[in-house]
Amino acid sequence: MYKLLSGIAFLSLLITGCSNSYQKETSRLDLIKERGELICGVSGKIPGFSFLGIDGKYRGLDVDICKSFAAGILGDSYKIQYRPLTAAERFTAIKTGEIDILSRNTTFTLSRDSSGGNGLSFAPVVFYDGQGLMVKKESNISSIEDLKNKSICVGSGTTTEQNINDVFESNSLPYTPIKYQDLNQVIAGYLQGRCSAMTSDRSQLAAARSGFKIPENHIILRNVLSKEPLSPASDGADNKLADALRWIIFTLITAEEEGITKENIDERLKLAKNNPQLKSLRRFLGVDGGLGEKIGLRNDFTVNVIKATGNYGEIYKRNLGEDSDVPIPRELNQLFKNGGLHFSPPFN
Amino acid sequence: MIYKMHQKKVKKYIEKIKEILFLNSLNNFLIILLIFTICIFSLQSFSSVIFNSKWSVVTTNIPLFAFGTFPSDQSWRPIIWIVSLLLTSVLSIIPPKWKWLRKNLLFAWMGMIPLGIFLLYGGLGLQTVMSRNFGGLTLTIFLTVCSSMFALPLGIGLAFCRQSSLFVVKKLSSIYIDTMRAIPLIAVLFFGQLLIPLFLPLGLEIDRVWRAIFAFTLFVSAYIAEDIRGGLQAIPNTQIESAKSLGLNQLQIIKFILIPQSLRIALPALTNQVIGLFQNTSLMSILGLVEFLGIGRSILANPKFIGQYIEVYIWLASVYWIICTILALMAKYLEKRLKIA
Repeated sequence: MYKLLSGIAFLSLLITGCSNSYQKETSRLDLIKERGELICGVSGKIPGFSFLGIDGKYRGLDVDICKSFAAGILGDSYKIQYRPLTAAERFTAIKTGEIDILSRNTTFTLSRDSSGGNGLSFAPVVFYDGQGLMVKKESNISSIEDLKNKSICVGSGTTTEQNINDVFESNSLPYTPIKYQDLNQVIAGYLQGRCSAMTSDRSQLAAARSGFKIPENHIILRNVLSKEPLSPASDGADNKLADALRWIIFTLITAEEEGITKENIDERLKLAKNNPQLKSLRRFLGVDGGLGEKIGLRNDFTVNVIKATGNYGEIYKRNLGEDSDVPIPRELNQLFKNGGLHFSPPFN
Repeated sequence: MIYKMHQKKVKKYIEKIKEILFLNSLNNFLIILLIFTICIFSLQSFSSVIFNSKWSVVTTNIPLFAFGTFPSDQSWRPIIWIVSLLLTSVLSIIPPKWKWLRKNLLFAWMGMIPLGIFLLYGGLGLQTVMSRNFGGLTLTIFLTVCSSMFALPLGIGLAFCRQSSLFVVKKLSSIYIDTMRAIPLIAVLFFGQLLIPLFLPLGLEIDRVWRAIFAFTLFVSAYIAEDIRGGLQAIPNTQIESAKSLGLNQLQIIKFILIPQSLRIALPALTNQVIGLFQNTSLMSILGLVEFLGIGRSILANPKFIGQYIEVYIWLASVYWIICTILALMAKYLEKRLKIA
């Protein structure tokens, strides 16, 4: 018995000893480079953002963001492992190091960002969303007030559920929430007529509507119930990785501001190399200034990123543009100079 | 001649059916009414399914449903594994004439897991495939086979421990069994997926598939232990006494008397466990593994197939149904055969 107890004590010492020796202060960024592969947490179940194509490859805006991270950090946008995650698992997966970055329609909030909360670090917003309501046209509902005493389909366990409750309570409107586990079930419930309206982020409503048999029979109300800035996230304790992610997103936005696309990047690079007077372009494309090194990346990381996925506008157009399967008007997601919210600090 | 006999048989069946169903006029009336209502009901509810559904969502995604995101040029590997699984099960049910094969079936079964790991993960000359690429029916079968094959010996061990005369062993195993049976499966699975990685030292990581298999094994072994205990208790004590008087030692008694008989008695219950386990693997779809149900849900998110729930879920349900029915029939056949022996 004594032997057994001492054995257990020894084993537990060994395990805690191991865990201590592992927690060295190495950045995840170096780990990714060493591994030669980026592990990206995605949803895999959101039309337009991340979903499984017929060929078994993941596609969507969130997936393209993963690709630009891989291109920026490793120089190759194919060196990615995708991990499909549910809303409940996503933060644990980051904390435990199972994934390097999370690109999964995650709303940037204080409690998720703070070390007292989920302890994440958010990259710049890649999609400005807001919660909305969708109703059937024939129901003649045109605003939140019309939904008094009606039932509303909502996905549980997300900020969505909390927001709808806040809005209806503050307007003292009684309503019946009908909760479902995920968005696809919410849509099914709404189509089966279990509720008069369904609520989710407006992008997801638009995506869902594009799959309906007659999309024109459903309208998305003008009321925006919440701000939902969707950002990729990484572990909050790791500033080095967070910096790299931040500037890779800004690369996408700056490229659109400057009109640099997947097609003309080689041309622009040549132009920058041959013309010493194009100072800011040379800095941005890593010809001068050594900006990449300062955030632990190669100096020409911007070139790799743009070559892999194109600029932000191209990514948007490919996944959510008018000709895509899930057309969502750009509105807030335009560049600042076009009346939207996307803006990049200077590459200096 | 044969045809006539056949005809006679058919006639007999028809008469039997008439006897059962159309006994008197009130019965006739009630039955016709019932059939009529069922027909109307099914026409109402299924006509839209049959005539309006677009099955392209299933047909174009068959490779995804079968293998998930497994590299398509490597899909022969899961096929070989599943076929060899089927072959071994058929051989176990209809025993082959060759004695050596019959004797080595147990080893063949034990070899299934290493073979599966080799074929699915690759290595040793095969292209390596990460477990994140497992999916669809392959992953469902992998989870079921691995968990049940680990759980069976563990369950037998626990059952014997619970019957043991050593106080500590007995108490520990009964505490384990009772705790596991008191926790819902989904909680055990959440523990496996969310908490195990938190306990492990940073940098050490167990594959998500194996974490799921681990959780399933822990859970199912407790139930299997109880099923086996039922079998053990059904064996009369006199058998053990007579075996002892014949000079068999404890190991021999377990090997030749207790295990074969208790397994035979527990067979229906064990079948239940396997079918239950097979269906419970679908719970992993809400924990981020893209097994058969999970891949269905991922495909539904493809903008091209939004809203085609009915087709996908009917397809999923019928595949689950077919496989479970096959399992049940196999077990039934095995039971019959063992009874004669």
